[in-house]
Order: sequence, then C-alpha cells, then structure tokens
Amino acid sequence: MADVVLKNVRKSFGAVDVIKGVDLEARHGEFVVFVGPSGCGKSTLLRMICGLEKITSGQLLIGDEDMSDVEASDRGTAMVFQSYALYPHMTVAENMSFALRMAKAPRAEVDKRVRRAAEILQITHLLDRKPKDMSGGQRQRVAIGRAIVRAPKVFLFDEPLSNLDAELRVQMRVELSKLHNEIGATMIYVTHDQVEAMTMADKIVVLRDGLIEQIGSPLDLYTAPDNRFVAGFIGSPQMNFLQGQVTGVSGIEVQVAVPDAPDHILRVPLRRTAQVQVGQNVTVGIRPEHFLGTPEGPGLEVRIDVVENLGGIAYAYGKTNAGQELILKAESERPPHSGMVVTASINDAYCHLFDDAGQTLSTSAGAIRLRDAAA
Amino acid sequence: MADLPMMPAQRTRMTTSFFRKHKLLLMPLAFIAPAFAMFSLFVIYPIIQSIGLSFTQWQGIGPKTWVGLNNYRMLFNDAVFWTSLMNNVYWLVLFLLAPVFGLFVALFLNQTVFGIRLVKSLFFFPFVVSQIVVGIIFAWFYDPAFGLLATVLEPIGLDMPPILSDETLATFGIILAGLWPQTAYCMILYLTGLNSVNPEVIEAARLDGAKGWQLLVKIVLPQLRAATFIALVVTIIGALRSFDLVAVMTEGGPYNSSNVLAYYMYDNAIFRYRMGYASSIATVLFLIMNVYIVWFLMRLWNNEKGTR
Ligand SMILES: Nc1ncnc2c1ncn2[C@@H]1O[C@H](COP(=O)(O)OP(=O)(O)OP(=O)(O)O)[C@@H](O)[C@H]1O
Ligand SMILES: [Mg+2]
Repeated sequence: MADVVLKNVRKSFGAVDVIKGVDLEARHGEFVVFVGPSGCGKSTLLRMICGLEKITSGQLLIGDEDMSDVEASDRGTAMVFQSYALYPHMTVAENMSFALRMAKAPRAEVDKRVRRAAEILQITHLLDRKPKDMSGGQRQRVAIGRAIVRAPKVFLFDEPLSNLDAELRVQMRVELSKLHNEIGATMIYVTHDQVEAMTMADKIVVLRDGLIEQIGSPLDLYTAPDNRFVAGFIGSPQMNFLQGQVTGVSGIEVQVAVPDAPDHILRVPLRRTAQVQVGQNVTVGIRPEHFLGTPEGPGLEVRIDVVENLGGIAYAYGKTNAGQELILKAESERPPHSGMVVTASINDAYCHLFDDAGQTLSTSAGAIRLRDAAA
Repeated sequence: MADLPMMPAQRTRMTTSFFRKHKLLLMPLAFIAPAFAMFSLFVIYPIIQSIGLSFTQWQGIGPKTWVGLNNYRMLFNDAVFWTSLMNNVYWLVLFLLAPVFGLFVALFLNQTVFGIRLVKSLFFFPFVVSQIVVGIIFAWFYDPAFGLLATVLEPIGLDMPPILSDETLATFGIILAGLWPQTAYCMILYLTGLNSVNPEVIEAARLDGAKGWQLLVKIVLPQLRAATFIALVVTIIGALRSFDLVAVMTEGGPYNSSNVLAYYMYDNAIFRYRMGYASSIATVLFLIMNVYIVWFLMRLWNNEKGTR
C-alpha cells in the first residue's frame, strides 16, 4: 500500500516552471529522502504534499485519497521546518498541543498525547519552557514533538537538522532513525547532507531542476547511478571523471582507452540495453576508493597536491599528467605526502561509463554484487 | 627636586586606577550626563515651574500673586473645564480605534500583490502630512455648502448637518479627522511588526488547522505585542495632547463644545493672559498623562527584567 503517490505533478510560479512532472511513490512506513542541488524544488515538492502550495497540475494521493484540493490541516501530514517555526509566545506544551486544541480534542486526550510525545523525545522537563529559553537541539525536538502529537500518516521534514552543530546532528540523526522505527509512519525528508541521506533513507530521490533523476535505495544510487549527474551527486568525496574512448566491443564487455593512462586499456561490463560503437567518446567515472590499493603495473600517474587524513581514512587530491584533477583514497597509516607522484591503477570492474548525454552505459561490479546478494 | 616630576605621574596613575576601578559605574554616568542636563533644563525645570505657576495669579507680565489652590477651585467649578475633560475622554476612547484600524490595514497591506507598493505609499500619505493640513482638508470635506461630503450626500437626498458648527457633532468630526493620520501611524508600527513575524510560523499554524480569525488572535497578534504596546501608548498620548486639529478646525467652538484641555489651556494663556489658571489646567493634564506614563514605564521595567 502506498501512503503518498504523486502522479505527473507540476508546479509553476507564474511563468516559471519549478516542478516539471514528478512521479513518485512512498510506501507505508518508508523513509524517503529528497536530495538535489539548491533550488531544484525539494522544498516546493514537500510544500505541495502538505498543502502549503497548490499543485499546478497532476495528482496527489495520500493514503489512497486524492488530496490535491484538501485543506492543508486535513491531509494527515505534519511538517517539521528548518527554522523550527515554533510559536514563540507559547510554552512547549502549548506548542505541541496547538493542533489538537484547534481540532477541539478532549483535554485528557490532548494531555496524554503531549506527555507521550514528550517522553519519546525526552523533553518532559521542558514542557513549561518558552522556545526562546531553549537550545537549538531542544527546539528541534519540540518541533518534532509537535508533529508526533498530531499522529500524522506522513511526516515531512525540510532540512530539519541543518541548523544544529555537527555533534548534535549526528545524535539527532540517530534518534530520528529510532523514532522512525518506533512510530513506523511514512517520512519524507529533505537534506543536503550526504551522510543523512545515505544512512537514514530506505529510498533516495535525486532531483535536478524540478525533475527526478533517479529513485533507489542508497546503495543502488551509489553503485549503479543511472547517469553522470547522480554519480557525481551521490558520494563524498565526489566520483572522479576521466575522458576516454571506446577501442573495442566484445559481447558484454567494452574496451576503453584513457589518455591519462596510456598503457592501460579498461575492460568494463556493459548494461544490456547500452549501445556502444568503437571510437565513441565516453566519460569514465571512478570513485576515490576504486583505485587499487597497491599500485603495480599500469595506471595513472598522479602528482599529489593535498592529503586529508581523517584518521580512519585519508584522501589524496592530485592531478594527472594531463592536468585532470583526481581524488584517491589512501591508507591513513601510510598516506602519500604532497608533491609525491604515485601510480594509481584503476579497478576496471568498478568503473562507470557515461555517454555524451550523461547516461550510464556500464554495470559496475558493485551493482552486480548487490544484485547477487539480493537474489 | 628630583622627586618633583614623579608627583604628577603618580597622581595620574592614581586617578586612572580610580577611574578604571569604577569604570563600569562612571562610564554610563558620563554618557547619560549631557542628555540628563538638557532634559532637566528643558523638560523637568519647566514642569516644576509650571506647577508652581498654577498656585499664582499672573498675567504674563507684572507681579505674580500667590493664590494657593484658588485656581484649582475655580477650575472645578468651570463648566468649560468639565466639557473639555469629557471631550478628552471621547478622544481617548475613540482614538483607540486607530490601533484596531491600523492593524487591519497593515494586515491588508502585508500581502504580496502586484501594485501593493503604490497602495502602501497612499496609506502612508496622511502620516506625512502635517496635522494642520489634515485639519484644513477635513474642514473643507465637512463644509455644508461646498464640501465633498455634502456634494456626495445631497443627490441621495440626505441632509447634511453642519458638522463643525453643531454642538454635539463637532468633537466627533475632529476626532474622525485625527483618526486618519493616527491610523496611518499605527499601521506603520504594525507593518514593521508583521515584518518580523516568521512566515514559517504562520505556515505551521495553518498546518495545525488555525485559520482566519483564530490564526490572527492566537498566532499573529501575540507576536505583535510590542507593536500593540507602542501603538497604544502613542495613541493615548496623542489623544490627550490633541490640540492642533481643534485649533485649526473649530478653535474649541461652537460655545466651547469641542474644546479639549490642551486647547483650553492655550486659550487661557495666550488669549486671556491667565497664566496661573492655564498652568493649573496643564497640571491636571500632566497628572492624567502620568497615569499612562507610569504604566508605560512599569511595562518597560518588567520587560527589561524579563530579558535579563
Ligand atoms: N513563491 C515562489 N515564487 C517564485 N519562485 C519560487 C517560489 N518558491 C520557490 N521558487 C523557486 O522555485 C525553485 C525551487 O525552490 P525550492 O525552495 O523548492 O528549492 P530547494 O530545492 O528547496 O532549494 P534549497 O536546497 O536551497 O532549499 C527555486 O528556483 C525558487 O527560486
Ligand atoms: Mg529548501
């Protein structure tokens, strides 16, 4: 059963098309994360789901009912805003109970639900405080509590943790995941944070310019991006991109020459649907961790500029002989130092190939293994 | 002799260290001193002088005679004083409509609709115009022979009373004129207040099911408390010191029916040379205002304590 369904949903502000036809399903209890560059329409999409913005065309179903023209307060959704948007003149308890009081719920019921939500979020001792007397993290909890009290079918979060400091962010991230397990409601979550997206999502929706680029599980998107945009957007540090040319096709395998690594011909498995010709220009994508650890034999010569050692892992930023920037993962115990020239040999099986339009041509080993594990 | 140059050096060190020790106390005092001196000279001293004057009989020149409470005794037996006081009460009560109207105009103007800037500047207009001009415009407007109001009402067959020369209507005619710029003033205060309301809070309230009247009363108004407070203070003080409109539109007439304390005081001082009597009116007005000023200061005091 799907809790939220969007069918060819569009939104225009005057002459500006912001959402250009989005189809999406969130199953009951699913944690869906929207990611995408700033201005791609993530917030607008959330606001349309909860009813703060009218849908220009298309259909929105929540719990199998058409909600396109239903009042925002009657959709069974609750929103948590980035700015928390607490009512400054009300105490925490009043903030949390406001929706129920508006709906004229019986007092005992209101008290019970506020108390329960406060217990879940461990803010019982704050119930009589005003928002201005609390820390950012506490306000965030109250904002979430205000949503929980309404017992909505669907929770909507618009970058809820982006105003918190790094440590609190990690803590709240874990608590939100726990909360999701506990309540089991459908949640739709907008974030700019790679880690939040990868760790919390059942399903990530990558948006660009008002269109969906790809929908899938975090690992799906990581191992088998449908196009170059998704490949570059998911993963941090970013995937490396190199120019290449097809030198031969044999069955499901394609051979690619990369000018930066003249003595190494890459052999990459193709997608079944992909059409490739000899001589065609392609872009080769390799994640920083998919260079072979002990460089023996042919590879790319990389002059290292900067090394970031994070303790557990290290990333080396450098340039190839042709001046192409490259990021390599390195051992943190024996990292290269800047100025050093290293040979990075490419792990063919984990390469991604993209055609000139940015569509993916290859299946990487990661994707194959993922598929095998699922089967 | 060799010690001598040491002396001043030592003394400066001593004074600087004294100054340093008490810096937190001295600096604020030093900053307040000039303003306090001016305020004492031009506000507090005249108030005291005026109160003193109210116990004398004086024609502006010549000798002052001490008459004790005589002026006040006369005042309380003066029908014009009571009319003026009553009119001030009307001003006060009806002027409180200004914050209400101001709020609604501000809510209306706070939308983002095409052309709202032009409409806004039109609403600012009466605030920019001098009270004197407002008075003259309204006097023309009310003119029973050629005024706009008469011109509009006549074709409908309604008879136009001569508002400003009608004993019962004159005060209300002036108050209406006063409400116009006062509403604009309150509107500006509320517009500024609305600017600082987080739109996401309003959206959250909409999601929580508040709409229309409830949204206004339960969410928007509480966040406009600061603006409401200032609007009330300014309006009350404005009503009590109403003077220019009365002076321009009726000079207190007909037969003192539209007089107010401030104008009656002016009338006694400037046209009848009864400085002592005028001062006693001023003192009564001052006492009435003090009620509000004390209220205002107490609110400020409590707020300060709250933010600490
Ligand atoms: N009320 C509006 N009128 C006109 N354009 C708007 C309006 N609201 C949003 N937009 C435009 O719609 C686009 C998408 O906005 P939206 O806020 O959904 O982006 P976003 O993906 O949430 O970005 P961010 O990550 O920065 O929050 C932007 O280009 C924005 O300028
Ligand atoms: Mg946004």
